[in-house]
Amino acid sequence: MGNDAIARGALEAGVNVVTGYPGTPSSEIVEQLAKVAEESNLYVEWSVNEKVALEVAAAGSYARLKSMCVMKQVGVNVAADSLLHIAEYGTRGGLVLVSCEDPGALSSTNEGDSRPYAKMMEFPLLEPGDFQEAKDMAKWAFELSEDIRNIVMLRSVTRLSHASGNVIMGELPKDRPKAAFEFSSIPMDQMKGPILAFPTLVDPLRRRQLEKLSKAEKIFEGSPFNKYTGPAKPELLIITSSVCKLYVQEALDILGLWERVGLLKLGTTWPLPSKLLEQHLGICEKIFIVEEGTPFLEDNIKALAAEKAKQVGIKTFFGRKDGTLPPVNELNPDLLIKGINFILGESYQFVSDEYKAKALEIIAAGAPVRELTFCPGCPHRASFWLINSALKLDNRAGFLCGDIGCYSLGAGPCGFSTIKILQAMGSGMGMASGFGKLDKFGMTQPIMAVCGDSTFFHAVIPALVNAVHNRSDMILVVLDNSGTAMTGFQPHPGSPSGAIGTRLPVLDIEKLCNSLNVRVEMGDPFDLKGTRETMLDLLEDGGNPRVLILKQPCALSPIKKGQKMYEMAIDANLCLADLCGCNKLCTRVFKCPGLIWDTQKEKVRIDEVLCTGCGVCADICPAKAIKA
Amino acid sequence: MDKNDKSSKGQQGININVLKQGLCTGCSACVNLCPSMEYYKDKTILLHDCNLDKGRCFTYCPRAPTDFEMLRRELFDPEDMVLELGSFKGLYMTRATNENIRTGAQHGGTVTALIQLALAQGIIDEAVLADNNDLLLPSAQPIADEDEVLEKARSKFVVSPTVSAFNRISRAGEGKIGVVATPCQAQALTKMKVNPVLEDKLRMEKLKLVIGLFCGWALDWRKFQKLMKEKAGDFKIKGMDIPPSNHACMEVYTIKGTIKVPIEEISNCVRDDCSYCFDMTCEFADISVGSARSKEGWDVDKGWNQLIVRTSKGAQLLALAREKGVLEFKKVPDNNIEKLKKASARKKHACLMNLAQKTGNWDDLIYIDSGDPVVRHIRGMNFGQQ
Amino acid sequence: MGKKLSCDPYNLIIAGVGGQGNVLASRVVGDMMIHQGYKVTIGETFGASQRGGSVMSHLRISARGGFSPQMPKGKAHMVVALEPMEAIRVLATYGNPKVKALCNTRPIQSVGVICGDQIYPEKKHIIQWIESLCANAGFFDTTKQALDLGDSIFGNIMALGALAATGDLPMPLNIFKTVISKKVVPAKIATNLKAFGIGMELIKDKK
Repeated sequence: MGNDAIARGALEAGVNVVTGYPGTPSSEIVEQLAKVAEESNLYVEWSVNEKVALEVAAAGSYARLKSMCVMKQVGVNVAADSLLHIAEYGTRGGLVLVSCEDPGALSSTNEGDSRPYAKMMEFPLLEPGDFQEAKDMAKWAFELSEDIRNIVMLRSVTRLSHASGNVIMGELPKDRPKAAFEFSSIPMDQMKGPILAFPTLVDPLRRRQLEKLSKAEKIFEGSPFNKYTGPAKPELLIITSSVCKLYVQEALDILGLWERVGLLKLGTTWPLPSKLLEQHLGICEKIFIVEEGTPFLEDNIKALAAEKAKQVGIKTFFGRKDGTLPPVNELNPDLLIKGINFILGESYQFVSDEYKAKALEIIAAGAPVRELTFCPGCPHRASFWLINSALKLDNRAGFLCGDIGCYSLGAGPCGFSTIKILQAMGSGMGMASGFGKLDKFGMTQPIMAVCGDSTFFHAVIPALVNAVHNRSDMILVVLDNSGTAMTGFQPHPGSPSGAIGTRLPVLDIEKLCNSLNVRVEMGDPFDLKGTRETMLDLLEDGGNPRVLILKQPCALSPIKKGQKMYEMAIDANLCLADLCGCNKLCTRVFKCPGLIWDTQKEKVRIDEVLCTGCGVCADICPAKAIKA
Repeated sequence: MDKNDKSSKGQQGININVLKQGLCTGCSACVNLCPSMEYYKDKTILLHDCNLDKGRCFTYCPRAPTDFEMLRRELFDPEDMVLELGSFKGLYMTRATNENIRTGAQHGGTVTALIQLALAQGIIDEAVLADNNDLLLPSAQPIADEDEVLEKARSKFVVSPTVSAFNRISRAGEGKIGVVATPCQAQALTKMKVNPVLEDKLRMEKLKLVIGLFCGWALDWRKFQKLMKEKAGDFKIKGMDIPPSNHACMEVYTIKGTIKVPIEEISNCVRDDCSYCFDMTCEFADISVGSARSKEGWDVDKGWNQLIVRTSKGAQLLALAREKGVLEFKKVPDNNIEKLKKASARKKHACLMNLAQKTGNWDDLIYIDSGDPVVRHIRGMNFGQQ
Repeated sequence: MGKKLSCDPYNLIIAGVGGQGNVLASRVVGDMMIHQGYKVTIGETFGASQRGGSVMSHLRISARGGFSPQMPKGKAHMVVALEPMEAIRVLATYGNPKVKALCNTRPIQSVGVICGDQIYPEKKHIIQWIESLCANAGFFDTTKQALDLGDSIFGNIMALGALAATGDLPMPLNIFKTVISKKVVPAKIATNLKAFGIGMELIKDKK
C-alpha cells in the first residue's frame, strides 16, 4: 500500500522518531512503523494532537535524529503555528512532514489542500506519483532535509496512500545515532546554538531560510522525480503531480495520444524547478495542468509563465480553473479522458449508449445509496437516542454541537439528526462555550456539546477550560468508547498503552474534569433509563458547565469484537410491527442494522450475522417482543 | 405520507390540528399508548415521528373532532340530560364526615372520602390520583391503599398527566380502576371507553369509576412557577385555593403563612387552550365535584363541596356514602341549580365564541360539531353584554 | 510469470459492504498475482465507508504495470460482488457488454431500507438485472457455509475460490496457501483453505 511504501522509505532513510495523530488516509504509516519499532530502533508515538506531534518530531530533529511527523490534511492546520517557526529556524536531523490528503472527501468533512503551506511558510514540497516513488521519495526527503537543513513536506493522497502497487525495496541502514541537543554556540549557529527567534534575529533567519529554498530549487532542477515523456514538440503539454500521473498515463494509453501529447510529471512541486519548467513551457502553446486539490500548481506555473513570458511565449492554460477539469472533488482516468478530448476536440465512448441506458434504468431501482450508519452495537446510537430524546422532552429548542469521529454521524439519520453544528476537532466544545454565554442577548436554548475520548485530549480540554473559567452555561457529553475508533482504534492518552504497545499511565477523563470543579456525571449509554434521568437533570441544572461521561467500549474494540453480550431473539407473536402502539420503532426510528423488517412475515427479525447483542433494542421495544 | 398532512388521523393530526392550533389541554390521553408521545414538564411532546395515517392518539384526543352527542347517548339516560349541565340526577352539598380528611384535603374533602369508600368497598382496586409531592407540577399515581388517598388530596391548578398514568396501569393486572379526572380527561376516557381500538377494549373494561372535578381553567406550569417563585420564594407550598370571584385573588398556603395573589396575575398564567373548553362541570363522569356556594358565605362554604350525580353508578356510590356515614349532607340552596347552569352556560358560550373567532366561521367549531344540540341551545341564549 | 493474461491490464473489481472482508480479499488476489510475477495496482476505498457504506477495490493486473488505481468507466473484465446491490452499483459504472460477474446473493440492508425509506429489490429482479448487464454471471450464497466455518466473513475467501474456478486468472491453490499464511494467524490457515475449496465448487455446474 502507498502508506506502507512511505513507511518503508522512512525506514530505509534511517528514521528514528515517528509521531502523528490518527487521520484517514494517513494512519497506517505510523501503525506499520509501530509494528517494527523494537527491531528498527524507533520511538513511535500517537501524540495528543498534530501540533504536539510535530513538536515531538522536531525535538528528535533538534537532537540530531531523523524524525517524521504524519497527519491528514487538516492536521497540518493544527500544526501550523509550530510549522511556521520550525521552517523559519531550520532543522538538524532530517525532519519530514507527511500530509496524506483526501481529495473528494472520501473519509473527511472537507477537501483541504495543505500544499500551500509549503509556499506560505517557505519549505520544500514533494509529491510522489506512484508506489515506488512513495518509497523512494520518502527516503530522499530525509536526505534533502539534511542537505538544506530544513523541514520537507511529503504530500500523498487517498488514491496513493490507500492504493497498492509493486514496490522494489532497498537496504535498511544499520547505524544507531545518539541523541543530544547542543545549545552552547550562538543563536545563528543552526547546528550548535540555542533555537530562538527574537525580533532582531528574524531578518537573518528569514534570509537564511530563503537561501535554503534556493538550494532546494537547484537540486530539483536535476531531480529524477521530475520526468518528461513525449514528443519534442507535442500539441499539448500536460503538467501533473501526485497520483494524477497514473490517471494521465492511462488516459493517453486508451486514447492512443502518446505521439501528440507530452507529459511532464513533477515530483518536486515547491519550489518549482523554474529552469526545467521554462524549458518545457516553451515546447508548445497548450498547457494542461492536472493536480489533486486546489489549483496550487496551476497558479504557480501560471505566475512563472507570466514571469518568463518573453522566453516561453504566450500560453493557453487548461486545468481546474477554466472548467476543463471539475473545480472540486477528486480526479480519475475518466475525467482526464474527457478533459484531454475537450482540449484536442476529440471524443471517446466508454460504453455503448445502449448499455449506458440500461445501466441508468437499473441503478435507480437496483442500487439505492448506502448511507453511513453506526455499526450494530455502537454505543453512539444509544447516546444520540438519549440526547435527542432529552432535548425533545426538555422542549426549549436545545441543540447539540458536534465534533469529529465516528459520532459525527450523529448529524445524520442514523444519529437521529441530533448534531446541528459540525466543523473541526474540538470546535463543538468551543462553540458551545460561546453559545453558553449568549443568555445576555436573550438566548434561552439549552446548549450541549459532544466529543469522543480521543477528541477530548486532542482539542476539547482548552475549550472546556474556557467554558469553565467564563462560566458558560452548557453541557459537555464525552462519548468514551475507549479508543480512536473511526480511524482504526488507535490509542490515546486515556488508553493503557501507546503505539508500540508498552504499558502507559491512563489519564482518566473523569478525574481531569473533576479537577476543574464542575459537576461531572458518569453514565452508561446502554442504561437508557438511568442515563435519560441524568440528562434531564443536567438540563434542569444551569449556570456553569456540566460534564456527562458516557462510557461504553466501541462495538469493534478488541474487548468486544466477536463476543455478544446477549443472544437476541424476537417473539413474533408479541411484535406489534406497524400497528398503532409501536409502528416499527426499532427499524423505522432506531435503525440498527442488526434489525431487519421481514416484508413477508411483516414482523421484525434479528440479522444474526450483523447483530452484536448489545441489548438496547430490547429496552426500546414497547411490546417487550425483543428478548435479550 | 406528507409530514404536513392536515388530514392525518394519527400523530400528525395531533401535531397540526391540536398542538399547533393551541388546543391541547394536557389531558395526556395520547401518552403511554406508544413510545412516540410523552408528557413532560406540562407539555405534550412528540418524542419520535410516527407516520401512521390513523392512530389511537388522535382517536382518543378530546380536542380532535368529537361527537359529544354520541358520547352522551352511550353513557347517560336521555331523561337525565340538562343542556347546560349534562346528565343530571341530582345536586348535593356534601363534606367528609372525618375531620382529618377535611383538614388534609380541599374544601369538603368529598373526592377523598368517595375514593376511600370505593377502595374500601372493593368497587375499585386502584385509583389514579394527582400526586402531592410538587403541587406546582403534579404527577399522577395509582393508589391501592385507602389510607394513602388523603396523602394525594388538595387541588392542583396545573394539569396532572392522569390519563397517561391510567393508560400505563390499565395494561397490566386484572383490577378495577377508578380515576379522578378533569373535564378534558373525562372526555378522553369516555372516547376511549365508547370507541376502544384494538386491545384497548379489554383494558377499558377495567375503568369502573370516574369522579370528575369542576374546572374553570388550569395554569401553565412555566408561567405559574415563575410567579410562585416571585411570591413565595423557596417556601414550600402546602396548598392553593381560589375563593369566589369577589375575593379577586388566589390564596397560596405556605409553611410561613398564606399569600394572597391578585387574580389578574393568576389570569396571566392560565393555559391558552382553556379558552376553548366547553365543559365546566365535568359532564362525562359518574359524579362531578366542585366547591360550594351558598348564602352562608365563603368562610362556611369553603368547608363544603357541591356535587352532581350523573349515572346510576354514581347514585349508588353516593347512597353508599350516606349509608356508611362517610359523607355529611346539607340542604342545597334553592337557586343553586340555576346559578350552576348560568355559570356553565357562560363558559360554553365563551368557548364557542373563541372557537368561532379562531376559524372566522360560527359553523366551524374545530373539534365541536356545530350541529350539536347543546351548541345550538347555547347559541340561542342571550348573554347580554359579555 | 504465469500464463499470459486474457487481457492486459486485466481489470477486476471486488465490491461489497464495509465489514465484509473486501480489503483482505483484494490484497490476497493482488499478492497471488505478484507471486507469479505480475505487476498489480489496487485502488481501495475505506475509512468512513466502512460504517455500512459501499466498498470496492479495483485491481489492475498486468505484465507491464503502471496503471491507475481507479480503472476507467466501462473497463471491468470481472466483478466479484460480496453483496448483490453492490454488484449492480459497480456494473452500472464499470460494466460493459463483455463483463463477467460472480455474486453472493445475501442482501445487506442499507439504513434506508431498514427504516423504510427505500425498498430492497426482490432477489429475482436483482439477478435479472445483473445478468442483463453481463456476458456471464454466476450466483451463490456463502452465508450458511461461512457461518458453519465460524464467521460469515469467510464468504470473501469463498468468492475468491469461485473466481479461481473460472480460470480467468491464474489462482492456484498452493499460491493461495502461501499468500494466506502471511495474512492470518496460523490457527486460521486451515479454515481459510477450506473456504477457498468450498468457493471453487460454488459455481462449478453453473458456468
